[in-house]
Amino acid sequence: GEDWSGLVVALSPPPLPSRSLVLCSALLGMLPLLHSHGLQSDPVMASEPPHHYPAVISGNEPGDITAAPLGVSQEISPLPNHSSPGHAKNRKAFPVLGIDYTHVRIPFEISLWILLACLMKLGFHVIPSVSSIVPESCLLIVVGLLVGGLIKGVGESPPILRSDIFFLFLLPPIILDAGYFLPLRQFTENLGTILIFAVVGTLWNAFFLGGLMYAVCQISGTGLNDIGLLANLLFGSIISAVDPVAVLAVFEEIHINELLHILVFGESLLNDAVTVVLYHLFEEFANFEQVTVTDIILGFLSFFVVSLGGVFVGVIYGVIAAFTSRFTSHIRVIEPLFVFLYSYMAYLSAELFHLSGIMALIASGVVMRPYVEANISHKSHTTIKYFLKMWSSVSETLIFIFLGVSTVAGRHYWNWTFIISTLIFCLIARVLGVLGLTWFINKFRIVKLTPKDQFIIAYGGLRGAIAFSLGYLLDYEHFGMRDMFLTAIITVIFFTVFVQGMTIRPLVDLLAVKKKQETKRSINEEIHTQFLDHLLTGIEDICGHYGHHHWKDKLNRFNKKYVKKCLIAGERSKEPQLIAFYHKMEMKQAIELVESGGLGKIPSAISTVSMQNINPKALPVKRILPALSKDKEEEIRKILRNNLQKTRQRLRSYNRHTLVADPYEEAWNQMLLRRQKARQLEQKINNYLTVPAHKLDSPTMSRARIGSDPLAYEPKSDSGNLPIITVDPASPQSPESVDLVNEELKGTSCLPPSPEEDEEGLVMRVKDPSSPGTDDVFTPGAGDSPSNQRIMRCLSDPGPQPEPEEGEPFIPKGK
Amino acid sequence: MGCQSSHPSAIPELDEIMLETGFSQASVVRLYDRFQALDKEQKGYLSKYDLQGIGELAVNPLGDRIINAFFKEGEDLTDFRSFIRVLAHFRPVEEGKSNETGRPEPMNSRLRKLQFAFQLYDQDSDGKISRDEMLQVLRLMVGIQVTDEQLVCIAERTIQEADQDGDGAISFEEFATSVEKLNVEQRMSLRLLK
Repeated sequence: GEDWSGLVVALSPPPLPSRSLVLCSALLGMLPLLHSHGLQSDPVMASEPPHHYPAVISGNEPGDITAAPLGVSQEISPLPNHSSPGHAKNRKAFPVLGIDYTHVRIPFEISLWILLACLMKLGFHVIPSVSSIVPESCLLIVVGLLVGGLIKGVGESPPILRSDIFFLFLLPPIILDAGYFLPLRQFTENLGTILIFAVVGTLWNAFFLGGLMYAVCQISGTGLNDIGLLANLLFGSIISAVDPVAVLAVFEEIHINELLHILVFGESLLNDAVTVVLYHLFEEFANFEQVTVTDIILGFLSFFVVSLGGVFVGVIYGVIAAFTSRFTSHIRVIEPLFVFLYSYMAYLSAELFHLSGIMALIASGVVMRPYVEANISHKSHTTIKYFLKMWSSVSETLIFIFLGVSTVAGRHYWNWTFIISTLIFCLIARVLGVLGLTWFINKFRIVKLTPKDQFIIAYGGLRGAIAFSLGYLLDYEHFGMRDMFLTAIITVIFFTVFVQGMTIRPLVDLLAVKKKQETKRSINEEIHTQFLDHLLTGIEDICGHYGHHHWKDKLNRFNKKYVKKCLIAGERSKEPQLIAFYHKMEMKQAIELVESGGLGKIPSAISTVSMQNINPKALPVKRILPALSKDKEEEIRKILRNNLQKTRQRLRSYNRHTLVADPYEEAWNQMLLRRQKARQLEQKINNYLTVPAHKLDSPTMSRARIGSDPLAYEPKSDSGNLPIITVDPASPQSPESVDLVNEELKGTSCLPPSPEEDEEGLVMRVKDPSSPGTDDVFTPGAGDSPSNQRIMRCLSDPGPQPEPEEGEPFIPKGK
Repeated sequence: MGCQSSHPSAIPELDEIMLETGFSQASVVRLYDRFQALDKEQKGYLSKYDLQGIGELAVNPLGDRIINAFFKEGEDLTDFRSFIRVLAHFRPVEEGKSNETGRPEPMNSRLRKLQFAFQLYDQDSDGKISRDEMLQVLRLMVGIQVTDEQLVCIAERTIQEADQDGDGAISFEEFATSVEKLNVEQRMSLRLLK
């Protein structure tokens, strides 16, 4: 009942000086109960300990994670001094106000912890001076230490980061976030390097450290003689793994260049397989008296099983997720959920079979992403992005706080020799490993790793919560020195996170390491990248060499031919990457223009001809454009007017049916024809446009009028089940007007169906500006003069006959 | 590729080639073997037809342009020296080599690589990538299903972005600037061509 009375005291309204103190003590009162919530009341966690690691949790909890929570809960029910009914022999008054804490305890405590984490994060950003020097992870650990100290000071025993909570709930969001947004290009380009660092580097670290620590233990007088070789090797394998959480937390803030970031981060992700295998191996072997060669060979084999099996599981789930997303066009709201659930299932399934859950998670994220993103709506994409970032952020915060709390809470056994030598050898092992491996790797790399790079890679090898959780899982029967191990692990973690984390930023500046480029890719870069890819593939083929490009090209072809057709809904499977990129950029600009509501730079007159089709705003506002002079309002209108006629003409004469066999030449001729006719109609259009222009008071509104006039080609048939984009051009209200899929409009098209046409992808419709400033985004174009005003945006135009690309001559016949 | 490897002495002008291109002897030998394997009729020259016989090139969007790059203007045959000269552009750049004045620009320098790529864009060799040339390249790369309007749009947008002097075409300097961030030395290098 002590816990409970403490809580009660905190809860009853005491005459305390400030509200914050009340909050703190309420917090503290709650926290001691957290450690008791695990086994007893959560059936899920009790029945499914992480199969990843042997289930040693259940029997061997140390005293502070009490195994008798039931006792506590039983004590709670008869409240000593509150209004809940006791053994009521005599009738008491109906309780108007009562407390039933047990009912809400678990969610309450969890929420409280998460709230604490978020408030801390908030606090750091409100006080910017500290966070610029000290990385967030350090601050969070300090907070954890403080909270743990507070709890201990109150007399309760603070909770320790339980391994199953960590591995099942806290780690997956971070890894999924990393895997889903993995920069795939850099990752695959450097995959060899990353793998060597992850596998060979970790092995080297583990054995080097384990061996040296064993040697240290043999030194008489240290009291460590009873620690065997296997125990030391196990310790080495636990501590040698670079931790993705810590690396992310620190590297995120220093904005280092992408190559180094992906090298260290990729290494931290991929070394999970090695860590799993080594951990299992040594733990099993600790039970045996001797280790035979067979065991070693089996261990070696299991490495491949674990890593490749994990990847395989991830890929399966990724493919299933991609396939599912193909059909979600009617229920957009649960699309993000599919992504999360399938990925989490991949993780759990891998854990189920003792495979590497992290690799499964990464593989599923990487595999599903391109297909899912092609299928889901823009909003779902945003949702996924933000949810992942949110969860991973909170997880990370919680992990660091708990690390701090666990430090205070855990039982420690400090042995100077062991711990100091661990620290030193860790650093030495890392440096030697990186140097040696880089020397080897540089023989095969085109872009060599400079000593500066090597230093950063070595320095960025941070240890974190994974090492701690792994150490925590050791059981006392076989590893009596577990406390000492834990202390050593925590020391190393603290050292790497604090010392290395804090000093890496000034060092990066000092060494003038290249930083990340902040600007996004321009369309030029995108085009040239593809161009160079094709060029290099061609040269490789001429040389008869099956190199990197060759296989990448083959994979792309396979992808385009078979996989995309299965996994991507409808016609979007045909959309080439370049066009997709271009559309994305245009969409972004469109949104920006709407939000800014202002006129950006005006492109030269010739260029906006076709711009109108795709971007009704027709005004690329990017700062990256070369400096163009700002036109005055009249000139703007004139330019737009001129462009407008041409496209209007197109509306009349353009017909997709004419695009057969040789689209290039046909369309070229047509464009010339159109231009000719356009000039003839100029006067007529001028008259039309000048009239409403007077009524409008701002360039925005005039643009709205002009921009929405009939543009583009003959509207295509609405097959009724196609998503439609409705665009509200240049409306200064909100980006929502550039709303993607609008299912409501599907059935309202009044276009004549053209049966020969293949079905369309996304079509875009502009709202009919029957009056300036109409807010109704969803009106279908009702036909204002002079003709139907609609913009059709074809994200993919298969053409009348979708012919296989391979057989086509790629050079247009007319030049 | 043929199973037997040529003897270095069988290669004409071996030393000059090595000096000019910077390849190692092993690479030159390897490329000579490849040259002979492609030259099915053993003429000692390669025709366009020989290169077009490479299956993977046929499906490469830039296949024809690449092939044409090996042949001089108007000519239909290329000898081994010219063949390897083109490939020399794709040799990886060595680190740490300072640009000594007086020495001619090595063939695999960044400048040369860029010039080669530029030349593939600029078919009429007027020193500029006009809108039409950009359009042609885009048309090659994106295939049939994209409409011309979209392509024209993209082409214009591309030129706008890169064009700094406002002449509506991309000159070599502008091209070089726009690919600054792309790490051309790495992209345009084949590891096997040491």
